[in-house]
Amino acid sequence: MTSKVIKKDALNKTITGWMRSYDVIAPVSSKEGIHFRKISDAKEFTLQGNQKPNYPPKSIFLPQSEVLFEIKDGSYSMPEAPKRRQIILGMRSCDARAAWLLDTVFNQAEELDLYWARKREKALVVSFGCASMCSSGFCDTVGSGPFGKEGSDVMVTELDEAYYLEPLTEAGEKLTEKLDNAESGHSKAAKEIQKSSVVKEHTQADLSKINEKLYEAFDTPIWKEISESCLGCGVCTYLCPTCFCFDIVDEVDRSERVRNWDTCMFRIYSQEASGHNPRPSKAERTRQRIMHKFAYWVDNEKASGCTGCGRCVALCPVNLDIREMVQVITGLPIQ
Amino acid sequence: MDDFGQVRKEAARILSEKKVDVVLGFKSGTIPLKAQPAFITSAKDANTLILDGFCQNNLAVFLHDLPKDKRIGFICRGCESRAVRALAIEHQVKRENLYLIGVPCSGILDWKKIQDEVEGPITSAVDNGKEIILEIHGEKQTLKRNAFLVDSCRTCTGIEPVGTDVIIGEVHLLDLDDDELPPTWAEEFEKHSPEERYQLFTEETDRCIRCYACREACPMCYCAECFVDHIMPRWSESMVTRGGTQAWHLIRAFHQTGRCVECGACERACPMDIKMTYMTDKLNADMKKKYGFEVGADDEKQPPFATITLDDKNRFVS
Amino acid sequence: MKNIYKPIPMRIERIIRETDDGSLRSFELTFNNPADEKAFFKAYNPGQFCQLSIFGKGEAPFGIASAAWEGNFVRFTVQNVGSFTDTIHRAKVGDEIGIRGPLGNGFPIWDWNGKDLVVIGGGCAFSTLYALTKHIMHPKQRKDYGRIVVIYGARSSGLCLYKPDIKSWYERPDMEIHQAIDVPEEGWDFHTGYVPDVVKVVAPSPKNSVAVVCGPPIMTKFTLPILVDLGFTPESIYTSLEKRMKCGVGKCGRCNLGTQYICKDGPVFSLAELNELPLDL
Repeated sequence: MTSKVIKKDALNKTITGWMRSYDVIAPVSSKEGIHFRKISDAKEFTLQGNQKPNYPPKSIFLPQSEVLFEIKDGSYSMPEAPKRRQIILGMRSCDARAAWLLDTVFNQAEELDLYWARKREKALVVSFGCASMCSSGFCDTVGSGPFGKEGSDVMVTELDEAYYLEPLTEAGEKLTEKLDNAESGHSKAAKEIQKSSVVKEHTQADLSKINEKLYEAFDTPIWKEISESCLGCGVCTYLCPTCFCFDIVDEVDRSERVRNWDTCMFRIYSQEASGHNPRPSKAERTRQRIMHKFAYWVDNEKASGCTGCGRCVALCPVNLDIREMVQVITGLPIQ
Repeated sequence: MDDFGQVRKEAARILSEKKVDVVLGFKSGTIPLKAQPAFITSAKDANTLILDGFCQNNLAVFLHDLPKDKRIGFICRGCESRAVRALAIEHQVKRENLYLIGVPCSGILDWKKIQDEVEGPITSAVDNGKEIILEIHGEKQTLKRNAFLVDSCRTCTGIEPVGTDVIIGEVHLLDLDDDELPPTWAEEFEKHSPEERYQLFTEETDRCIRCYACREACPMCYCAECFVDHIMPRWSESMVTRGGTQAWHLIRAFHQTGRCVECGACERACPMDIKMTYMTDKLNADMKKKYGFEVGADDEKQPPFATITLDDKNRFVS
Repeated sequence: MKNIYKPIPMRIERIIRETDDGSLRSFELTFNNPADEKAFFKAYNPGQFCQLSIFGKGEAPFGIASAAWEGNFVRFTVQNVGSFTDTIHRAKVGDEIGIRGPLGNGFPIWDWNGKDLVVIGGGCAFSTLYALTKHIMHPKQRKDYGRIVVIYGARSSGLCLYKPDIKSWYERPDMEIHQAIDVPEEGWDFHTGYVPDVVKVVAPSPKNSVAVVCGPPIMTKFTLPILVDLGFTPESIYTSLEKRMKCGVGKCGRCNLGTQYICKDGPVFSLAELNELPLDL
């Protein structure tokens, strides 16, 4: 596929052009922080350095609260699908990869989740790679990297004078076909930036060995030790771009059946009606989270369920670091 | 030996003399600007204990999880010692099982503000009590500490640990040059009309993601079943709607009336940077004015809104 | 395109009071739409379950307690334990209720052709085993299987389910039925004792046999080792697991057990499969 370039001062014009046929959802900076919003002016798109919103953009495809059905006279009707196509602009590779991983859950022909699928079908992902990794990120050690390709339709590398666009899918190619072709100088500069974006000291985590060691440790007391300072809140799982657990609730006042994000880190998540709780303490719940990310995902999809975005590391109120936890349990490093 | 060296020595002593089973404190975090809660069970590990402005949590929150028969050494700052007092009055901890080592505090730092202030990845951060010394791209950058204190520490009046077994170190009030610092969020809030205040409250809480980090970080939130998790009747919806989220914040603030120790751990835990201490600060100020009650001021007085006596004035009670 | 979260509208056709104390009732539901009925029976296999859906009360999973040949209805046996099941128990014939299903994998009966079957059930978990037995006892299926031994325990005779059918099973030459109750009762002619002990007494032969166990977790816990002692291999012992469920289709994550979802990859698992899974049940 042909790489393209947009001169730095022509980016806004390009985005404005896209806005004629697409709703452009992009990170917008305000006093409330950085959030993905539908922009009405290309200038609203602000992304600097390796910034990304704390709130994960999985919310674009799996909203934190989503109406599944409106109930009228006993019949269940699905809310209308989004009409316009969307460009999700300014995704990071960690978040784009996460959406790609979640496609294996929600976007399979057998038991298709229509709510996820119809949004994904209408959306194009234009990601911006990170020239230098964020301080708590480790995407390069869990099978990806700041310019990881999975989940994006176009990957953008910021050069000195221009943006270098690599279409990665047919849809990405179509979106960028009218842009100027990149020259060899651009490609060379982009490759240099991409190559030097990873942290030199980082090494690839041995996912299959980590998987093996986690299973070995399943019935040991190590989980109690590592979860001692866990508060049992939902920060790690709610901000995680690959966590997808949800609860289904009937909102009688509004005649809606809705789904809301849920988390395996809450005690009541696995609480059964009989009173029995298979995960009664933080030890079992922490074990579930770590096993799911680094054992079960690896078994099922041959890929880590963690994309190394680093949000849980940066924002855990007690600085519980999933890399440290995996290292303590398995003796194997994730940097 | 500096003050905190004495604290480590004391921690090692109470462990080796088997006066306590565990010492609760902080140790270094895995990334700059962070610290982790530490549960030290052996004297030789006491030298891993640290205390600086990156120690964000109110460690009293862990008293609920540790087995009730364990004897716990607790290195506590002012707000943490007030929490212990409040918990003891509410019969949540046995004071006789605790050995409280009071320590001075220079106020907790706002790590997000520090990160936003500088350009480039911070590879190391040191808080020496006067300055914050950062390393960015191999170069040192120094910041004045006071400008980066969290709001609740700037207005702290309870810096002296209370009810502790010892105090190691000299407790000073914070040396804040008020002229240099912008007003706190709460001060700003008070300047607005009721309609504007509701607008500000809505703007803040609109980004709440109901992760309940505020609740879990708070030592005074220890209910076995929180009102938001109660289904029959359902007090608040779990959907992220304004109704549900605003109810969450308001009701939690009211449940903390006269109980909140004003440590600010809730705000620091929040991943969405939502302001919330202004509500409990105001409610606590009202408690002081109307009932003469201040949480942690002594170890006997019951919090008025959490206590019922037979001669209660409310007619529906007696 | 099919919406996996959308309940199929059903009508309560018949209500049977199963137990003397009324704590368990069976509800036979018929389809409002013929297309739904056709699709359901095309997919249905004993051992599967459905999510019953009542707007305002939510959803809960129930094993399907009927065989396809019994008619154009689907039977569920419901125990009254909480607000959702209480609402169902208060329903009347003609009331509408939603279902989502058939869900889960069901019993792999095609793998059991030519084998003897030992069906071991306890309490209200017997419902899917009842469906299995009814299915296999039909002349069309019966010749595909060898000996059939059914062991079914309940706490007391009044709590036994499906009494008329089970009574008729005693008359059948092509199956062996062993009922048990926990404590002695006057007039009870059959076994007394817990199901695991009855299994020891009956001592079914493991030769060319498959054992299926469904019951309260404690019953299953003690029965499985007895079957292993009797010589059943882990590949020939099957059970049906329960865990808190929400979506029932392997999306919401709640019933996750290791690499599997109990709602989608189960609820039926062989002991060999269970031995590979981390058991946080």
